[in-house]
Amino acid sequence: MRDWQELVRQRLSGLGLDAAERDEVHAELAGHLEESYEALLKEGMTEQAAVSAALFQVTNWQDLQQKIVIAKSRGHLMKKRIQQLWIPGFLTFILSTVFLMTLQKLGFRPRIVGGGPIAFLFYAPWLGSLLFVGALGAYLSSRAGGSRGAALLASVFPVLALTAAFLLMFPIDLIIERVIGNHVDFSIVATALLREGIGWLLVPGAALLVGGLLVHLLLSPQSSSQGTVIG
Amino acid sequence: MIGSEIKRGTAELAVLSVLQDGPLHGYELARRIEQQTNGALRFTLAALYPMLYRMEQQRWIRGAWETSANGRRRRCYRLTSAGRKKLSPLQREWAELFRALQRLTKVSHA
Repeated sequence: MRDWQELVRQRLSGLGLDAAERDEVHAELAGHLEESYEALLKEGMTEQAAVSAALFQVTNWQDLQQKIVIAKSRGHLMKKRIQQLWIPGFLTFILSTVFLMTLQKLGFRPRIVGGGPIAFLFYAPWLGSLLFVGALGAYLSSRAGGSRGAALLASVFPVLALTAAFLLMFPIDLIIERVIGNHVDFSIVATALLREGIGWLLVPGAALLVGGLLVHLLLSPQSSSQGTVIG
Repeated sequence: MIGSEIKRGTAELAVLSVLQDGPLHGYELARRIEQQTNGALRFTLAALYPMLYRMEQQRWIRGAWETSANGRRRRCYRLTSAGRKKLSPLQREWAELFRALQRLTKVSHA
């Protein structure tokens, strides 16, 4: 009796899927070939001709292997990205925003550092909380098997979102000012950019990153072993 | 020469339509499509499984191992609710396309 599974296994030996999934694919395709072969025998073909005709369904096994991996991994990659980056990232973003809004609602006054046009506003309790928020983002990402890059990106996600808003906001503001005929002094804009950038992006980003790095260092043996599984 | 997008669309419509009648494993699915289209549509193993896996990832179909009456284990595919939702507009689009092509052929023959 012909071992169809072995036959498929030999031809699809480089199937880049995890072991269980690879075995399933081998078994499924072997089943298909076996049924094709049996149907061809019933039609009156000789055994050898039926085997050849069944196998003739695949002219390029290498190509089939590639197509299967692409078809199977598309969803996996998306799922992984969601679990390792987007969910932890959005959670850190929501937590940091809600905490800042709560502090402002409760009447906490920001600490002013520096003077004149370059005076930075810092919410000390918020900055402190960002260490934990960043740590949480990195922990969730690492637990989902995220790489170091994904874990750190998840931890600094709130600042990345703010940076994107900043980069959009200033050019739009400049255009509006120009359209309504207001003269905008570039040095004022540059100073504002620097001030807001340090106060709302650089320092909070550093706090988030420190939290993320601490957790990543603590979990690094675990995260590196999980990160090797490729779907 | 039929474009790959049209081919893919036809193949997906065929699979979803046949699975509407009930779950089937890959070989039986290909056989049904061939039978029901009088041999106009044929799926080889190489064309069928990458498509089934892709459709599974898109959650239009769901595969599960089942043991048949003769003791054979086969992966059976069934239509999901997302697949059912995908099928109706797909059927409409293809029906419209065929009607348009028919009209076009009639005009060019007239």
